[in-house]
Amino acid sequence: MNPFSLSIEELERKAKAVRRQIIKLNANSPAGGHTGADLSQVEIVTSLYFRILNCAPDRLDDPERDIYIQSKGHAAGGYYCVLAEAGYIPTDWLPTYQHNDSKLPGHPVRQKTPGVELNTGALGHGLPVAVGLAIAAKKSGSQRKIYAVTGDGELAEGSNWEAALVAAHYGLDNLIIINDKNKLQLAGATSEIMATDPLDKKWEAFGLSVSHCEGNNIASVVETLENLPKNGKPQVVIANTEKGAGVSFIQGRPEWHHRVPKGEEVDLALEELKDE
Amino acid sequence: MSKSEHLANVMVQCFIEAVEKGLDVVPVVADSTSTSKIKPFEEKFPQRLVNVGIAEQVMVGTAAGLALGGKIAVTCNAAPFLISRANEQVKVDVCYNNTNVKLFGLNAGASYGPLASTHHSTDDISVMRGFGNIEIYAPSCPIECRQIIEYALQKEGPVYVRMDGKALPELHDDSYTFAPGNVDRLVDGSDVALVAMGSTVHEAVAAAEQLAKQKISARVINLSSIRPLNNAALASQLEGVKQVLTVEEHNINGGAGSVVAEVMAEFGVPARLTRLGIADGQYAPAGDRPYTRKCLGIDSESIAQSVVSLINQ
Repeated sequence: MNPFSLSIEELERKAKAVRRQIIKLNANSPAGGHTGADLSQVEIVTSLYFRILNCAPDRLDDPERDIYIQSKGHAAGGYYCVLAEAGYIPTDWLPTYQHNDSKLPGHPVRQKTPGVELNTGALGHGLPVAVGLAIAAKKSGSQRKIYAVTGDGELAEGSNWEAALVAAHYGLDNLIIINDKNKLQLAGATSEIMATDPLDKKWEAFGLSVSHCEGNNIASVVETLENLPKNGKPQVVIANTEKGAGVSFIQGRPEWHHRVPKGEEVDLALEELKDE
Repeated sequence: MSKSEHLANVMVQCFIEAVEKGLDVVPVVADSTSTSKIKPFEEKFPQRLVNVGIAEQVMVGTAAGLALGGKIAVTCNAAPFLISRANEQVKVDVCYNNTNVKLFGLNAGASYGPLASTHHSTDDISVMRGFGNIEIYAPSCPIECRQIIEYALQKEGPVYVRMDGKALPELHDDSYTFAPGNVDRLVDGSDVALVAMGSTVHEAVAAAEQLAKQKISARVINLSSIRPLNNAALASQLEGVKQVLTVEEHNINGGAGSVVAEVMAEFGVPARLTRLGIADGQYAPAGDRPYTRKCLGIDSESIAQSVVSLINQ
C-alpha cells in the first residue's frame, strides 16, 4: 500500500510544492534542464508516489513493491523533486542537480539515486524493460504492478511498439503505460514533427486498453488510475497535459524544452506557485 | 578426433540443468527457437521461455526487465541481429543498468556463410569491448563452452558469449578447468605464437601440426576470455617468440588482434605482430566455411603459409 495515500486536496498542494522545487532545481542547474517536461508530468508522478504506488522509501528492495519507470528520462529533474518530497532522497540534494559528482545527474541513474528503478535518457527504453518486469511478476506470481511514463514525442521510437505487441500478446494486465501527452518535443509540435494521433486508436489496434485523463488535473489522474478497466489487457492512460504546466510563461512554449528559469523568472514562477 | 557437438546444444543443456538445480533461468528469444535449438528446454519447461517475435530491441529490453524482476535472463538469437539491431538496448538496458542478463550471440562470425554479410557478425567483440562492464567470452569447443555457460549463469551481471554456429570437436578433455581471465595455452612451441579466438582455434591447432612437419615450432593460445583477461599472463605467454599471429573470424580492429596488440604494446613484448582476420576494406565473403576462411587467410593452410613467409622474410 502507499504510505501517504493523500487526498485530492493534499495531492494538489503537493503538486504545487513539487513545481516550486522544479523551478528552484532547474534554476540551480549549471547545465540547463528540461523544465517544460518536468512540469508537464507533475500531477501524474505526484499521484503515483503519494497515492497509487505500493512502494515506500524504506522498501526499496521489496520484491512486491510496485515499479515506476521514468521512460521520458529527460524529465529527471521533475522526477527527483517528487522523490525528494516523498522522502526517497534528501531535499538538500536537489540544488546539486547536474553538478559534478551529484547524485542527481541529468538523466536518472539507479546506481546513484535511491528510488530510481531504471537508467533512462535514450528514449524508447522504458516500455520494453517494463514489459520484462511485468512478465517476471507474472511468472513469479507477484501482484506488483509496473507503471511507466513516456512522452508523446518519444512514441516515434519503434521499440515502444515492439513492446506494445509483446505486452498484448502476453496479456500483461499488470502493466500501466502513461503517456504524458504534452504535444511538444525538442524541436516543436509533435503533430508537425511526427504525428502520433490518433494515439488511442494505435494502442487499441495493438491490443492494449486505453483510458484518457486530464493529465494536469489531480482528480482526473487519480480517478482514472484508480478505475482502470479490469479486462485482462495492458493499460494505457493517455494523459492530456501541457508542457510547462503551472507557470504561465513556460506553459505551451517549445523553447522551454531545454531551458531553465533565470533571475526574475524564478521569482515570477515561484510567485505564481505560492500556496493560496 | 573427438565427437563434434554444436555449441547451441551445449547451451540448451546447460539451461536445463541450471533450472533443475534451482536457478531461475528465463530464456528470451526473437523467433529464434530453431537458431537456439531450444526445443528440449521448451518441452521440459513449457511456461518458461519468452518469445517476443522478430524484434531484437524488445528482446533485450525484456531480458533486462526480467533480470530486474529477479530472473536470470538469457537471450538467444543470431549474433548479428543482437549486436546491431539491439545495440542501444545492450548498451543501456544491459550494460549501463548492469542487469543480470546473459547475451548469447549465436552463429557468430561468418557461421552463416553463404547467407552473406547481413547474417555475419564480425564486429561483435569490438562492439562489446566498447561497453566497459560486460564480460566477454568466446568458447572454442564444447567442454569449454559448457564451463563458460555454467560460470555465466551463476555470475551476477552482464555477460556476452560469442557462439560459433557449426558443430565443433573438443580441444580440451574433462581435466580442463576454465577460469575467467585465464590464458589457455593449448600447444607448446618456441618459434611463433598463434593466438586464436573461438572456432578459429581449431585452425590454429591444425596449422601448428602442419608447421611441425616443416620443423617450425608453433605455440597455440586460445583466447576464450576476452574480458576479464589476465593481461600479464597473456604477455608472458607471448615471451620467447619473434612472431605473434592472431587468428579470428572477426574484424582485426577491436577483436583478438587488437587485444593482443594492446597487451604486447603495454607490456613491451618484443615480437612482431601479424593480425589475420577481416581487414580494413573487407567484409567476410559469402560462401561455405572452407571457402570463406581461405579467402580471409584464416584456414589452417593459409595460417601456416603466413607463418612460413614471415619466418623467411
